[in-house]
Amino acid sequence: MSKSKDDGILSRPLGRRQFMAYTAGAGVAAAGLSSTALAQASKTGVDPAKWTAAYIKSIAGTETYDTAAECYKVVPKDYKGRLTYWYFGPTQASPQIEHDLDKQFWDAFKAMYPNIQVTALNLNYNEMIDKLRTSAIGKAAPMVVRLPILAGVEFAAKGQLMEFGPESVGYSKDEFWPGAMKSVTWKGKTYGVPTNNETMALIWNAALFKAAGLDPESPPATWDDLVAYSKAIKDKTGKNGYGMVARVNAGNTPFRFMPQLWAFGGGALDEAEENPTYKSIFVNNDASKKALQASYDMYVRDKSVPTSALTNTQNENQDPFIAGNLGMMIAHPSEYAVMLDRAKKATGEDKKVADEVVANMRYGLIPKGAARRAVVFGGSNAHVFRPDLVDGGLDVNAAKAIIAFATGPEWSTKMAWVSSNPGNLRGFKTKWMKERLETIKFLDVTTSMLPNGIPFPVVPQATEIMNIIVPNMLQNVLTQKMTVAAAADTAAKQIKELMNEL
Amino acid sequence: MSGEAPSPSSGRGWVSEGVRKRKRDPWRIAGNVFLTVLIIFAALPMVWMFITSIKSQFAAVQYPPEWFPRSPTLDEYRRLLLPTSEVGRDFLRYMFNSIWVSFATTVLGVVVAVPAAYAFSRFRFPGRNLLFYSVLLRNMFPAVVFLMPLFIMMRWMGLVNTQFSLILTYLTFGLPLSIWLLKGFYDNIPVQLEQAARIDGATRFQAFIYIVMPLSSPGIIATAIYSFIMAWNEYVYALTFINDKSRLTLPVGLQRFFAEYATNWPGLMAASFIMSVPVVVMFLILQKYFVKALTEGAVKS
Amino acid sequence: MTLATPTTTIRKPASAGAVRPRKLNILQRIWKHRHDYLYVLPSIGVMLLVIAYPVYYTVYLSFFNTPPNLALEDKIYVGLDNYWRVITAESVHEATWNTWVWTLWSTFLAFVIGFAAALALNHEFRGRGLLRGTLLVPYVISAVAAAYIWRWIFHSDFGVVGAISVALGITERPINFLDNVDIVMPSLIAVNVWKEFPFAMIMMLAGLQTVPEQLLRAAQVDGANAWQRFWHVTVPHVKGVTLVTVLLLLVTNLNSFTIPYIMTGGGPAGASEIWITHIYQIAFGRIRFGLASAYSVILFVIMMGMGYFYVRALTRGDDRSHG
Repeated sequence: MSKSKDDGILSRPLGRRQFMAYTAGAGVAAAGLSSTALAQASKTGVDPAKWTAAYIKSIAGTETYDTAAECYKVVPKDYKGRLTYWYFGPTQASPQIEHDLDKQFWDAFKAMYPNIQVTALNLNYNEMIDKLRTSAIGKAAPMVVRLPILAGVEFAAKGQLMEFGPESVGYSKDEFWPGAMKSVTWKGKTYGVPTNNETMALIWNAALFKAAGLDPESPPATWDDLVAYSKAIKDKTGKNGYGMVARVNAGNTPFRFMPQLWAFGGGALDEAEENPTYKSIFVNNDASKKALQASYDMYVRDKSVPTSALTNTQNENQDPFIAGNLGMMIAHPSEYAVMLDRAKKATGEDKKVADEVVANMRYGLIPKGAARRAVVFGGSNAHVFRPDLVDGGLDVNAAKAIIAFATGPEWSTKMAWVSSNPGNLRGFKTKWMKERLETIKFLDVTTSMLPNGIPFPVVPQATEIMNIIVPNMLQNVLTQKMTVAAAADTAAKQIKELMNEL
Repeated sequence: MSGEAPSPSSGRGWVSEGVRKRKRDPWRIAGNVFLTVLIIFAALPMVWMFITSIKSQFAAVQYPPEWFPRSPTLDEYRRLLLPTSEVGRDFLRYMFNSIWVSFATTVLGVVVAVPAAYAFSRFRFPGRNLLFYSVLLRNMFPAVVFLMPLFIMMRWMGLVNTQFSLILTYLTFGLPLSIWLLKGFYDNIPVQLEQAARIDGATRFQAFIYIVMPLSSPGIIATAIYSFIMAWNEYVYALTFINDKSRLTLPVGLQRFFAEYATNWPGLMAASFIMSVPVVVMFLILQKYFVKALTEGAVKS
Repeated sequence: MTLATPTTTIRKPASAGAVRPRKLNILQRIWKHRHDYLYVLPSIGVMLLVIAYPVYYTVYLSFFNTPPNLALEDKIYVGLDNYWRVITAESVHEATWNTWVWTLWSTFLAFVIGFAAALALNHEFRGRGLLRGTLLVPYVISAVAAAYIWRWIFHSDFGVVGAISVALGITERPINFLDNVDIVMPSLIAVNVWKEFPFAMIMMLAGLQTVPEQLLRAAQVDGANAWQRFWHVTVPHVKGVTLVTVLLLLVTNLNSFTIPYIMTGGGPAGASEIWITHIYQIAFGRIRFGLASAYSVILFVIMMGMGYFYVRALTRGDDRSHG
């Protein structure tokens, strides 16, 4: 990444050249950048040369927008209506600032549209999808839902969503990452508007690194290094090295395991390759098996990760980390804010420990593998349900009002405050973005992971592949129920059956 | 109501008076050892729940664990029970919802079960056995299997996201055993008592209210407790049927609380503790009726 | 159910061999008893409401394929294919094995412990009420709370049981209860037994009240030792309640969901997947409602087979007392 940072000045013209290069396909090498980075850029549309930390800093605060004016162009202020809205908003594991912003968001929306009566339901990630499926079948769905990026296409494929895109609320498709737009596109039609896009990074406890004889200031460069670091921490300090997550049917698992799989050159389907077709299965290729082996080495051979990884969600790594009992983990930028909050709330001796951990917290890039450096291009999108599936009928203007409001430059920046990036690219130019960059530590690290982002496959089966088949494969290996090869082959068979069901 | 107090005859058993005089009866010693082990097995999880609930979040994730918290705190209880914070308000609301749903289920359950049990016991209408067997068979259907179709049906009836959908569903969970237990009760009440009352000029209804009801009150109390506990504890239907936070019941609230609180084990344990208190206290006060009701209603010889 | 109602055969007109008059006769009798039905109408009504449609819908849906990319209305008729797929699926076989391990061990242990506790409690001593009360508490604690309490106790990294075993020098590392394919099932069964033994205890305690004391005395006078008195006097008297208790436990355990679902979600690697959690996983995790329905129908059939014994046990003696 340091290379692209140096190229900051050149970034704009180079960016345009690149764009032409990868549409031409053959001209990729001529752009002079590594082909993997470009391949990834072709999927997320995040030009790695352009979106450097320096560039992001340089555009922040350069433009101002009038949220009210933009919204009123779509739906007038005095519009009288009703809205039901489901989203996965801040939880008690989120930092206080997200709660505050959530409240501000609703207060501001109420002020903007005083006559729209809102019923909002804040559900957690894992609960959301189950509930939404049942509700859609029972014709009791909400009007608008803000869904994890992975899940929307399933509902679109079932024909349960309205055709609805940025244009529906007065924005243009160009204001959003191409990769994000792709995640709301099914069979050429658009079924949603991106609200935010995120990538994670690696955080570690420098004190534990030091105690284990590792360089406290730099993260493991490769996944092989990460395995070795984890072991060193366990052996030297007795604390767990890496916060592995391998629970089935919890969104956390793919966000932490897929980067590893992709880095080695594997994947579930061919989603990490250039121009993915989602037709070939990568989960049992040699690279995927190597990635699985790395997890096996940490969990079974070295016993350097929490034993409870199989039942844990990511949230369950927070306490051990802040208590100084965990070396490193893949996390949102918001984790820093979470840790600050925790430290603030701790008392007595706990406070001392927590403050020390916060002082020793470091953010870095997720390790590289043989093939690439990778991270999940995550986030969420707003969708509108078909009128006949909505409990009490759809109020399309109320839906437009909330989506225009939430995906505009102001609120898509504010709602992504500590954990991700604005879905609306104009958000990067706002003064709030500037404020974020100035106040939130490590934000630039996760932002500079953006070009390494790989979206989940845009197929209706994605949820099952990512939340069930892949974690099950991991569990089969970690519990030694199957060998690495057998587990990978089983998963490949399951994915094949699943894809052929279409 | 004469038989309500614990009867002195409850001391009888397979080990009789004579044996007790021999102090070193090996069976008795084995029994006491067994009870000691069992009480540890039964109570320790609850003790650990309480100990964890008064720890700080940091203290809970230490290894080896602090056997007793170095600096015990009631913070979690305060947070859950004081309506000053959002958490407290939510939790109290879940609690209130649970009480309301369980109470309504219980009352409706008794109102519906008593006449049915009485009819199954006293009347000889055609299809009586068939209907009675069908009622009993309800318990054979696994609840989870019906989630989706019931959701669709509740939606037709406009009951999705209302507590009545839960009350209606819970009602049918409790009914089979309630009717069965109460029928056993009525079977044991001599018909002659009612006949005597009716000769004295009482209507069938009056005879039922003044003669049969009082005699079956332990049974009614027992079925009421049973329904209440069942409704208080039910989880998966509440999870599926209710969307609004303001209408959730405690088990789902507890689960959401956990998901939200991440590893706040002390908070989760405190919430579990608070959630257990009402039913445990109620059950402990009324347990003698429960045993009595089972003896008279379920255990016919 | 084909259990004939004995009352329909009473007062059969001697002369009428034809079907018609008998039919009329039943209708007449129903009419005569019409007020009786009012008593059972509310309970039967509410049961029908909540059960009839779901049963119909489940059976109906079991003949359709419902892939995750199609809305439920676009389901594809596949005949008995779902049944075939359920019967031949390896994961179903695994879940079936787990279900029986779970059900039989839970029932057996809960009953044995409960019965033993009832025997030990069945005499007067100081603090008996308190002891009985404490032992009953697990029964009333919510399954959700119980699942979380035990998940915490069994936690692989911070669990108290693991820590105790290390402190006592039994094991070197904390025991891995829930993240281990071999130990997860016994661990979950332990939780279930903890939750259910009080029910067996209270039932058997009630059953023991019906053992006549004179018989025990008489047996003692005749020189029978404690074991003989137990085996020849107590056991025959509690046979009925034993049957009821065991069947109620079996049915409850076959229908278990909350404890395994919350504690492990069927994991790790499917090692604690039982029928009901598996059906839930197929229906809601994998959105194969057709497949889940076929699975459910197979379950109904098995349950109905058991239902015969269940109903017999619960209605034992009815005909005698009011024949």
